[in-house]
Amino acid sequence: MQEGDYWMAVVEDRVSPAPTASGATTVASLARDWARRDPGHIAFREKDYGIWQEYTWGDAWELIELSAHALLELGVEVGDRVTIHAEDRPEWVIVDLATVAIRATTVGMYPTNPAAEVEYTLNDSGAVVHVVEDQEQVDKVFDCDPELITSIRNLVYLEPRGFSDYTDERLIFWENFLEMGRKHREQNPGAVDDRMAAATDDDIMTFVYTSGTTGPPKGAMLSNRNSMFAISKIINESKAMPDGKAPNKNDQILTYLPLCHVAERIFSTWTMLAGGPTLNFAESIETVAMNLREIQPTLFFAVPRIWERLHAGVLIRGSDATFFKKAWLNMAMGAADRIGKAKVANGGSHTTSSRIQHAIFYPLVFRALQERVGLRHCRRAASGAAPIAPEVLQFFMGIGIEVFELYGMTENSAVATVNYPGRVKLGTVGEPYDDIGLRIHEETGEIQTKHEGNFAGYWQKPEKTAETFTEDGWLKTGDVGEWVDGTHVKIVDRMKDIIITSGGKNISPSEIENTLKASPFIKEAMVIGDGRKYLTALIAIELDVVGDWALRRNIPYTTYRDLTEKEEVIELVQKTVDDTNSKFARVEGLKKFRLIPKELDHEDGELTATQKLKRSAMMELFGDLVESMY
Amino acid sequence: MRGRPKLFTSYAADAAIFPTTLQKGLVALGILILFLMPFDIPGISGPVPRAFPESWPIVGDRFTILGQIPIIKDGLPFIRFLGDGNWIRPMTEVFIFGIAALGLNLLAGVAGQVSLGHAFFMGAGACTAAVMGGEPGGRFWGWGLPIWIWLPAAGIVAALVGIIVSPTAVKLRGLYLGIVTLGLVFIGIHLSRVFPQIAGDTESGRRYPEFDVKLWKEESPLINVSSEDSVTGWFGLNVFEVKTEQKVYLFCLIAVILMTWLAKNISRTRTGRALQAIRDRDIAAEVMGVNEAKYKRTAFALSSFYAGIAGALYAMFLGKAAGAEFSLFLSVEFIAILLIGGAGTISGTLLGTFFVVILPEAVKKVTEWLEDQEGGITGAIGDVLLTEGPGDFGPVSTASVSPGWALGVFDWNVVIYGALIVVFLIFEPLGLFGIWMKIRNYWKGWPFTY
Repeated sequence: MQEGDYWMAVVEDRVSPAPTASGATTVASLARDWARRDPGHIAFREKDYGIWQEYTWGDAWELIELSAHALLELGVEVGDRVTIHAEDRPEWVIVDLATVAIRATTVGMYPTNPAAEVEYTLNDSGAVVHVVEDQEQVDKVFDCDPELITSIRNLVYLEPRGFSDYTDERLIFWENFLEMGRKHREQNPGAVDDRMAAATDDDIMTFVYTSGTTGPPKGAMLSNRNSMFAISKIINESKAMPDGKAPNKNDQILTYLPLCHVAERIFSTWTMLAGGPTLNFAESIETVAMNLREIQPTLFFAVPRIWERLHAGVLIRGSDATFFKKAWLNMAMGAADRIGKAKVANGGSHTTSSRIQHAIFYPLVFRALQERVGLRHCRRAASGAAPIAPEVLQFFMGIGIEVFELYGMTENSAVATVNYPGRVKLGTVGEPYDDIGLRIHEETGEIQTKHEGNFAGYWQKPEKTAETFTEDGWLKTGDVGEWVDGTHVKIVDRMKDIIITSGGKNISPSEIENTLKASPFIKEAMVIGDGRKYLTALIAIELDVVGDWALRRNIPYTTYRDLTEKEEVIELVQKTVDDTNSKFARVEGLKKFRLIPKELDHEDGELTATQKLKRSAMMELFGDLVESMY
Repeated sequence: MRGRPKLFTSYAADAAIFPTTLQKGLVALGILILFLMPFDIPGISGPVPRAFPESWPIVGDRFTILGQIPIIKDGLPFIRFLGDGNWIRPMTEVFIFGIAALGLNLLAGVAGQVSLGHAFFMGAGACTAAVMGGEPGGRFWGWGLPIWIWLPAAGIVAALVGIIVSPTAVKLRGLYLGIVTLGLVFIGIHLSRVFPQIAGDTESGRRYPEFDVKLWKEESPLINVSSEDSVTGWFGLNVFEVKTEQKVYLFCLIAVILMTWLAKNISRTRTGRALQAIRDRDIAAEVMGVNEAKYKRTAFALSSFYAGIAGALYAMFLGKAAGAEFSLFLSVEFIAILLIGGAGTISGTLLGTFFVVILPEAVKKVTEWLEDQEGGITGAIGDVLLTEGPGDFGPVSTASVSPGWALGVFDWNVVIYGALIVVFLIFEPLGLFGIWMKIRNYWKGWPFTY
């Protein structure tokens, strides 16, 4: 516990001038500190009716406190679960913090979760209050088998539209919910403070359900100790920031990834609580590009898919530009390529020649390009949650947006490794944070961590929890890694995904897949070859880009499926595959590939909520396609 | 938030006239230049400097490239005026026409109600000014009231006339409304002949009141605008000479700035949005709860108010004018301003006014200059274009030549207007403002096209 106390001391030193007299520091107590210290500071912005409506910390805490009282009124006890099924919006954070304030546990759900997964999560977590965004989400609850979700006592809905015909007695409208809290506060003033004062480091603050690429999702329990450890890492690791300044009140964050995922929780809500940046909620995932341009965040975290889309957006719009603009753009892209390469070779820092080229092209093109992408004021961009193609990182480095790849997982509160400015090694996930335990198992090559952020276990799955820890208490990440130059960690692949061909070769499919996905034409790729003679791949094309490409070449098509069957398209993909093969050893070359005839979708079970491929499901669904290649 | 021009946290910020500091600064600079233009500013208003000292052999008499351009050889005309009274009056006219055009823009551009009767409303304003501010005791009616009464009154009377006319706009649309308003112009001219006590003689008209600002009917005005005695200046200040023309210029400049500010605020508020809704589809607007009759009345009242003010200023600017001055041609000129500048936009309207009013002056200047050229390329061009005497062929006849087959400068102006309107309607329906928008969007999209 000594190490933990040390970190707590640091957190209190940096975050709260007045240490809470009693009760452990939690995300809720940090929020209360902000409201007391800086009630006028903007906590959230949400775009509504065309403008960004602002919530100060004073407003936010009032809402959090009312929600907490309302939850008490609804009889939420210590350790009870409150589920939230909504897009990112201030109410999400408010309910989350209110739940933690009364020592209950928040369980988030992906907005795209279909009814079956809602049923599973509600049943598995045994939640008592379920907060839903709108009619669409509440209908999923009514689609569930009522026998399985008996624990649900109340359904709080945020958007009143479409609810006039609903008579279910469990339904409570958000405004009435807050009113309930107001009455409870009048009758029981200080009830929430009492709960907060009793909080302990071991209280489970949230369940984060694993995405379930292999089996049914498991609820990973994170305690207050875990979250405080992650927060301490955020504000103490100022050397991970290119300008050396920890997240502070002037920072802007765009919140757009699902908040139920640990990465978005850390990079938005917890960063806000740690240093005071303002959270700006994107309208939806479709408007991220536009919202980025409006907000121009200073801290930006994205998953590789988003980075790939931003990259592809620049390429496509660049190719559509008029002659004069295209000429400039081509010149600048040439420079960006050279700058990127120079920086990659130099650990992410400028060389003299790259600095000169940047100085020339910044005012001409890069500045406008950064503005258009929405990252002109970005002082730290990060990529994580999945492996990213080095080409994409190099491109962004070239145009002056340095993207740092980092690594972590739900089970260790996403605290593991990070690329530090000036010491970047492309293709690695960086160096372990200071003062954490990280080792790579000598035989299996598995990465293992041991620190305060290691989770408390899987909810009601002790045997799974036991499997996840080694005998000496290290967390098994399930990722195979290797040291690069003794300092940096390179992720080879998920342990379960490693392909062993019938020739006995160990091959990491993700590397090949990522190289394929670096092409703007390819959305998803799945390399197959476990127990087979040679490697093959299932490839999903990017409809927008390939459709655009086909239109330009006067190739008519009707549907996605039709497009995948065009010979020109197959040739196009073949070219990318050939390029990829030339970068790998012969045994790692793809002999054949097939285009997937449908768009992959979460609802159809091919992807997880985080848009990761479910390999086993893919093998089942497209088995005949796979067999046709052998 | 600094450096985030697209981040709006309130509707006020979203609808701000000048959202960025840069824009505020540029507009302030532009207004400052407009205020300084009539005065002698060394370095700006002097002639274009020679490329080399005059004492140098051979090259000493050469001008710089700018010095070769006739209109700006003697100084930049849009920045300098002093010593060249040729430009100060057209510029004042730009301001006055600008006010009237802003009014027509509210009616035709923002609310979409075609009106050919704008000259009639201007005439109504001019007559009000003549009666209320005119010399008492003469042949014509005159009450001798001060400007602060008759100038607003001119606008209000014109607005009342507009309200009387407006019900036709509820019944009629498009061309039919245009024809009705066209009729107004002829009614106006007829009335001016029937009531010479108000509008003056049919041919010579009557004297209009002067710009002097008086508290009441006292002898020595509070602010002396009309007097040539410039040494006493304004408020008795004796710092520099201010000539009558410059004072009128400044008076109209202040008026146009105020009226532009008002127009901008009308078009970005609830009223403006209602008018735009009516323009885009009146039935749809009514479905949305916009009271069509009320807002068309508002549009006519506002538009006529502007026309009335402009008419009073215009009459005052001319000094002596007949009712026939406010003819159909004047109305058409405003339509031309809207179409060339860009209907529905404030800055386009002002740009169009500048273009349409300055163009004849520029054509005249160029013709005069060509006339003076002897030999060389410019002389040859002059030879080809101008008809300078009997037996000389050229499409443009100079003032000294009696009209033959060649057209005079004035006729050419009409031809150019017509051609410009056709060209703009076909190629750039949004007018000069549309061209500006295209240029701006080109750079806004940099380095992409969209």
